[in-house]
Parts: sequence; structure tokens; C-alpha cells
Amino acid sequence: MLLTRLLKPSVTASAHCDLPCGVYDPEQARIEAESCYKIIEKYNASGDELFKTRAIVIKEERAELAKHHIDVLWSDYFKPEHVQKYPEITELCWKAAKQCSKVKGSLDLGEAKTLLDMIDKIADVWTKAGGPQATRVAKAAAAR
Amino acid sequence: MTGRSMEPALRAGDWIIISRLSRPPRVGEIVLVRDPRDSEHLLLKRVAAVTDGACTVVGDYPEESTDSRTFGPVQFANVLGRAVFRYGPITRMGWLW
Repeated sequence: MLLTRLLKPSVTASAHCDLPCGVYDPEQARIEAESCYKIIEKYNASGDELFKTRAIVIKEERAELAKHHIDVLWSDYFKPEHVQKYPEITELCWKAAKQCSKVKGSLDLGEAKTLLDMIDKIADVWTKAGGPQATRVAKAAAAR
Repeated sequence: MTGRSMEPALRAGDWIIISRLSRPPRVGEIVLVRDPRDSEHLLLKRVAAVTDGACTVVGDYPEESTDSRTFGPVQFANVLGRAVFRYGPITRMGWLW
């Protein structure tokens, strides 16, 4: 109806509850990706079939977690102003998420290394965008 | 509007008229504010306290609300206006003060 369309508000305001803890760090993805890397190494060095089976299951789980952490950075941390300043971040996150899928289905150490490098590139942008100061809780000097 | 944090005063889907403020907001008013964490995000909350240059806003339904308890006081510059009238749905039409 035309009248409804005319009257319909053009701006939507929210009265939501969100719970953004505000802590974002590519290190979280990197640790999972490092697990994948080390698991592949151990898989290749092992002759124990049971161990090898477990290694595959756990590596797939870790690759999925790495993908989740990259997705959280991309969808929750990086804001339009970051993308404007560092336009490469869209492709970096997208490709890294795809690389996680590759690592999930592969036992090639090279693929796991590529994922680590991709996460490091995301970390560079995160650092340049002020991520460490904006998102992490500082450690006490004594705990460093 | 969307969300539940202003229930029962406001409900998701309500159509609301906002009036610009030419004076500082007052305690008890429902205001439209820019989310201090994301300036493109607009929020509707109730003013709980007013200090020099800023106001504390909270939802009427605190368990379902993210407000000044999370992001602190909102500067007056980020208070865009005051909710004055609900014109939709028709059955709930009425002034908001």
C-alpha cells in the first residue's frame, strides 16, 4: 500500500542486547592453525594407525576453529572504516577462511604453512588498525 | 525499531517519531542515541542520569539491554533526539511522555 510505504520509517533504531566482549586477536586463529601444522607433522612421523586416525579428527576440528576465529574477526572486529583504510582485509579474511577448509581436508604441511602466513597478514592489518590497544586487556608488568 | 530492551514502553516494530532536542536531555526521557562503539548504529534508551555534557542511558528491560552499563555515558552530541510519539501500530498509537 502506498500510504503504508509513505508512513513507514526510513531509519531503524535498536533496543537490543548484544554482548560484545570486545576482545579480538588473530592469535586465537593462529594457535589453532599452529595445532594443525604440528598435528600434520606428527601424523607424518607416526606409524601408529590409531594415533594417525585421532590426529586427522583433531586436525579437522582445529581447522574449523581457526575458520571460526577468522570469521569472528572479519564479521565482528573489522569495521567499515578499517576496510576503507585497509581494503585488502576483505580478501585476506576470505582467502584465509577458505584456506582453513583446505587444511581441514589435507595432510600437506605446505597448506598449513600457507594458512599461518595468511593469518599473519591479517594480524598485520589488525595491528595497524590499532587492534592490540583497542581489543586486549593489558597484562600486569609482573606477569610479562 | 527492533529489539526488546525498551519493553514494555516500546516494542519491536513500533514506528516512532523522534524530535530533535534543543536542550539537554532530561531524566526519564526516551532518547535516540548513536552507539558510542559504532556511530552508524542507532539506539533507543531511557535517560537514567544527566551529568555535565553527557547522559547515562539504560533500557527499561535491563536483562535484555546493552546500554551505558556497557559503553558508559553518551555525550550530548550523540543524543540525536527524543522519542515523542508512536504512530504505528495504530492500536498502540500515542504520546511517549
